[in-house]
Amino acid sequence: MNIIAIFISPLIALITGMFFLGISRKIMARLQWRYGPPVIQPVIDVIRSFSQMSISHGSLFDFGIILSLTGSFVLILFLPIGELCPLTSGGLIAFIYLMLLGPFGLALSGAIAANPNSSIGISRKFLLSLSYEIPMLLVFLSVMTYYGTISLVDIVKIQASSGWAIGSWTLVLPGIAYFLILPAILGVRPFEVVKASQEISSGPIAEFGGKHLAFSTLQHALHMFVGLALFVDIFLGGWTLFGLLDFLSGTAWFVILGIIIFLLKMTVVFVIEIFINAVYPRYRIEQAMNYLLKWPTLISFIGLIIVVLVK
Amino acid sequence: MSLEILLIIAFGGAFLVYFSGKISPKLRDGFAVFISLLLVLIISCLYGKNIEKTFYRGFFGLPLVLRINMLSWLFAMVISSIGSLSVIFSLSYIRDKEKTDFYYLMLLLVNSAMLGIVLTGDLVSFLIFWEIMSWTTFFIICYKRGSALAAGMKYIIMSIIGSMAMFIGVLSIQTNFNTLIISELSAKFTSASSGYILFILITFGIGFGVKSAVMPLHTWLPDAHSQAPTPFSAILSGVLTKMGIYGFILFFYFIIGLNKFLGLGPDVFNLHYILCWIGAITIVIPTFIALLQNDAKRLLAWHSIGQIGYIILGISIGTSMGVASGIFHMLNHATFKALLFLTVGAVEYQTNGVRDLNSLGGLAKRMPVTFIAALIGAFGIIGVPLTNGFVSKWMIYKTLILNTHPFLAFAALLGTWGTILSLYKFVHNIFLGQLPEKLKNIKKAPFDMQFSLIILSIVIIFFGILPGIPLKVINSIIGSAGFSALNISSIWGIASKTGTLNTINILTAILGVGVIVWLIFKVGRKSKQVDQYDNYAAGFPIPKDKYHYTVEYYAPFYRMAAPFLVDIFDIIYERIAKATENICDCIRKIYTGYVGNYVMYIVFFMAFLILIQLKWSVF
Amino acid sequence: MDRNQISKWLKNPAKMANKYSFHVVYFCTGCGIIEIPPSITTRWDAERFGIIPVATPRQANLFLITGYVSTKTLKAIIRTYEQMPEPKYTVAFGSCPINGGMYYDSYNTIKSLDKFIPVDGYIAGCMPRPEAIFIGVTHLWKLIDMDKADGYKRYREDYEFYRENQEQLFGELDWPPLFQNKES
Repeated sequence: MNIIAIFISPLIALITGMFFLGISRKIMARLQWRYGPPVIQPVIDVIRSFSQMSISHGSLFDFGIILSLTGSFVLILFLPIGELCPLTSGGLIAFIYLMLLGPFGLALSGAIAANPNSSIGISRKFLLSLSYEIPMLLVFLSVMTYYGTISLVDIVKIQASSGWAIGSWTLVLPGIAYFLILPAILGVRPFEVVKASQEISSGPIAEFGGKHLAFSTLQHALHMFVGLALFVDIFLGGWTLFGLLDFLSGTAWFVILGIIIFLLKMTVVFVIEIFINAVYPRYRIEQAMNYLLKWPTLISFIGLIIVVLVK
Repeated sequence: MSLEILLIIAFGGAFLVYFSGKISPKLRDGFAVFISLLLVLIISCLYGKNIEKTFYRGFFGLPLVLRINMLSWLFAMVISSIGSLSVIFSLSYIRDKEKTDFYYLMLLLVNSAMLGIVLTGDLVSFLIFWEIMSWTTFFIICYKRGSALAAGMKYIIMSIIGSMAMFIGVLSIQTNFNTLIISELSAKFTSASSGYILFILITFGIGFGVKSAVMPLHTWLPDAHSQAPTPFSAILSGVLTKMGIYGFILFFYFIIGLNKFLGLGPDVFNLHYILCWIGAITIVIPTFIALLQNDAKRLLAWHSIGQIGYIILGISIGTSMGVASGIFHMLNHATFKALLFLTVGAVEYQTNGVRDLNSLGGLAKRMPVTFIAALIGAFGIIGVPLTNGFVSKWMIYKTLILNTHPFLAFAALLGTWGTILSLYKFVHNIFLGQLPEKLKNIKKAPFDMQFSLIILSIVIIFFGILPGIPLKVINSIIGSAGFSALNISSIWGIASKTGTLNTINILTAILGVGVIVWLIFKVGRKSKQVDQYDNYAAGFPIPKDKYHYTVEYYAPFYRMAAPFLVDIFDIIYERIAKATENICDCIRKIYTGYVGNYVMYIVFFMAFLILIQLKWSVF
Repeated sequence: MDRNQISKWLKNPAKMANKYSFHVVYFCTGCGIIEIPPSITTRWDAERFGIIPVATPRQANLFLITGYVSTKTLKAIIRTYEQMPEPKYTVAFGSCPINGGMYYDSYNTIKSLDKFIPVDGYIAGCMPRPEAIFIGVTHLWKLIDMDKADGYKRYREDYEFYRENQEQLFGELDWPPLFQNKES
């Protein structure tokens, strides 16, 4: 079971991530009253980038992007998708730390390119990460304290019996806070600060061409997948549907239905985020930091105080 | 091998090195390396022994005792290993400077004094070795003269205040319990009152707090660590600050005892909970002040204060995993802070003293070994999985979350994010980005510098993949302090009821996926190698030296947070020092230099005495 | 569009992907750039063909020379063209790159662009409307299918010719030659 899961999980994540990138462009186009590219377009872009012969600024340039994509794939292995969770080691804390590898690899590789646009992009990326990590950590701490465990699989299993976390009155504030910072995690507007095309010539990926660009697109897709999957796992009950389908528990059908329900929930959340993306312009980094450190932090802080008082 | 021979080798070796330096430099270098490695060897042979031995009766009527147990052994290993690596590093660093004999003498004396501190069994020799350590450190901090003198002055004054506080504590213990031997004191303290324990903790706490730079007493550290010569900064940050931690552990758990320490004070304002909060504040504020620094060594020095906060938090939380994580983080911090300081030393040596982050850049291509070492050190201090920093931080978070202290866990996690930002700035401004024209001909660091860097990097990764090896030692330490032992399932896992940590899982995942991704990367078309001047600049030629973003690297954050991130305590202490100076200046005016004034003082004082004798017949 | 024919994708995925994902360097070289924003916005949607502008030439594979080329812009155009990864395509708009167009007697414009960088196709007009741009793109697809859109290969093989013309115009060039000479 675990061996199959090790191979299937990254595949599901990759396909779903590319699907999300595709439907994001299609939905944005339809909202703007035009036809838009086919949903398959990101796959075509990746194939085309991969077939180009690009430049490289040295072995660190290659190593950085490999580290970044490796980090994202390893992160998928530690994430419960449906009921498949191949590796559980260290729980949510190790997960938060493994989330560092992706952006750090991209930062190394972009900075060695000796382009100040990359450096500025990376500094803004880290500042934005700091700003959204503060409410995100408060949210995770509230959930971990309330459920008394640090393992992601346990958190989902508890929700199967006691209802979705975002419905319980102690955890509704952290849920709202996480929903407010979700655009920053995914990199959609108004927090699309890092890959801002016009202001800093696409930031860290300014010197990426060919296979480096293909890898960075895949890494972006996986990173989006992880952000959404965490939200669904922690707040929306993961792969369970209020225990309605427990009679199938233990069979292969349960696993497959679990994955389908999981992906459906993620798609719903993602479409809502695309609608937000279509409406807003891009914030400057100071405005983004000001917003993220004000309202979501306040709401998650109050949520944490409520959890501590209840416990 | 008995302990006094160890100390004699340590101290005698220091003087031997000094005198052999008068004969020939090569002899001195050889002796220095030989003595340091000999000490490491002897201490590693003492593993697992529990000796206690009175080595001198009758020092003013008090016996002086030496002892070694697991805690002392761990600290002694850390001291001697980091010391020997630093000595090997100094071989090239100090070679062309003046007063090298004096430097080696003081370096080895500091190491010996620190060994003395952890190997004593009574408080008198503890104080003696503490004082030796303080003033030898003062001498080396002032090695460079100039602005280093002010930094050394600040350090020695604060250190003396701490030592005097400790002296008061020792005097009161002697008058109350009539013994100063540590193993006997732990029995006597069970009968002491809470108020007395609080008094002892405050006096000794000031002494240890100054040395280990806990929040209100930390102001000497940034200046001292940045002005000292770099191999010694590595020892200062890595090991010297841990002497305060050793004192804290000794007092909290071995002298005062676990139950009394945790029960000190009313329910919410437990002393150990207040210490946890002091540790939490020490994590957050210095780490973000480090973001604003422009000098590489000052940035690392502020980080030292922050990481000490983690250790204090771990030690004070009072659970077995917390104390274990505090001690483990002490070990880890010694390795990666020494590594980071030594990389700055290598860069400084090759660029003839340039440490300013705003003027370096792009050195990764010229000094690859130094860059990889700095990267591994940065990964360690951030806590990326597979390094030892990750394991100790994981343990701290777990114990904080599962004992429902989420705000402390939040402070600790916030410290990690500050660390990520500032260490990335450190690595980026020195090693990444555009190589300036004047640094185009930098050569690689010499081999003895690379040797220390490589050894420390290997230790960081080795302890990250197999954390069970140091954790076994730590398990026995906390077992002897009265905690329940950790469940270390094998040398790569820490198991507990709610969530286990299995580093081999993470290692195989990262390696396996990494190999597959690398193979896919190789399948693509081969890239063309270009140099840094073939870059995107909107069709314009790349300006040399100006296409680099280093100054004010996190500019929006500076604008937002710089007014709040001031070192209040530094300003307060400077004001107090200035006020004292002014008062003393006023008092100085008594000495007018005019003999008539002095005669007048004598006559008035005699008149005053005669008046008292007439009125109250005192004499 | 034969984007839906799976058998063609399976035979030569690189060629099909190169056709249906044109990332354009968003470099405004001349007056013709005024026709590009209408063609990528809602009314004449270029994204359904897979065309989207990107920020840097490293990520692009289509270079649109929009309008006249002055000698000052030509240096930037050559540098940008050389920074693009291969395979890359160049399409010139308007009549100015063909034969000088409206500025046929000016001292400052380039009369035939093909001497300095290889051009795969021209779109006539002064400026071509977005519909003409799309017809040009479909012609470029046909050329890619027939393997005739080989401007980048010509640049690689005849590099001495191009470099000589560039040096004749500018004098000493401050970037090194992109390809080393085959002999010498």
